[in-house]
Amino acid sequence: MFENKELITDDNIARVKDLLVCMEKGNEEDAIEIIDELTTIRETDLYQDMGKLTRELHDAISHFGVDDSISLLAEKSIPDARERLNYVISKTDEAANQTLEAIEESIPICESLNKQASELHDSWNKFTNRELSADEFRALSKEITEFFKETNGLASIKEHLTVVLLAQEYQDLTGQIIKKVINLVGEVEDKLIGLIKLTGAPQLKNEKEDDSASLDGPPVPGIAHADTVSGQDEVDDLLSSLGF
Amino acid sequence: MDTDMKILVVDDFSTMRRIIKNLLRDLGFNNTDEADDGLTALPMLKTGKYDLLVTDWNMPGMQGIDLLKAVRADENLQNIPVLMVTAEQKKEQIVEAAQAGVNGYIVKPFTALILKEKLEKIFARIG
Repeated sequence: MFENKELITDDNIARVKDLLVCMEKGNEEDAIEIIDELTTIRETDLYQDMGKLTRELHDAISHFGVDDSISLLAEKSIPDARERLNYVISKTDEAANQTLEAIEESIPICESLNKQASELHDSWNKFTNRELSADEFRALSKEITEFFKETNGLASIKEHLTVVLLAQEYQDLTGQIIKKVINLVGEVEDKLIGLIKLTGAPQLKNEKEDDSASLDGPPVPGIAHADTVSGQDEVDDLLSSLGF
Repeated sequence: MDTDMKILVVDDFSTMRRIIKNLLRDLGFNNTDEADDGLTALPMLKTGKYDLLVTDWNMPGMQGIDLLKAVRADENLQNIPVLMVTAEQKKEQIVEAAQAGVNGYIVKPFTALILKEKLEKIFARIG
């Protein structure tokens, strides 16, 4: 801690020699004076070191205080991020519901047109094979007219498809929002590392053990979890190994 | 497969319930009901005479695995086939579900074909 290299100097050696001479001669007054001189030299070093330490501490503390980005993160950015992520949930929910609604309205139209077309096809085959009576043919031509009316449904399917198309805009919006949150997480990570270095807390070497009782949720590529299967085939293999 | 059978679909996300219901309808099953977690599903199962339970695992309230255990512990419900449709892919959990008596286990994301195959397998076993 103390820098002693300044202690053994020619001046100090001369002082110690003088001190020895004074003491041997019984010259107490001069001896005390030399001891005082040496003590002062020693104390000056000590005070200088303490001064330096105090300044470093002061700088560290004031640097920490001046850098208000951490409190900005805690008070503003993180609550903002929470809002942004909630917005992502509501946008994706909305898009999924719009899409499902459009599909649920389209499916019955498709089924009905498909059924009618296949009935007409049967009748038409009978007609080309000359198996239809005149009355049956009149009925068929009525059915064909009806079918053309029903094909208006195709226009509404097209509208539904446009709804599905537009609903996909969520991908762009939520993508941008999530990117911002990813940047924020990176920033928080940097600040935390800085804080750990500053406080000198030992870095944890062991990762927290995987809590097997908790549910992992959907698997994410790039994030490995111990003892998981990947995909339906592996589930099936595991279950069949258990006798399923 | 008897397409008149009554099916209860349990998932906390309405979109997932809707997807499963639509896929089931496509396979000819029109008689389906929905519940958003085990706590709402269990009383429905007790009164509803369901022929099949399709459930998610991770739900608030009562989780799918606990619903499965409750069904197997109830003498009136214990023979209902249960198909689990979940994002949980830990081996330990799949084994737990198997030991609790699940009849099929589908991991999300899944396809219409996988749903069809698993249903056919379940009913082929039951006969």
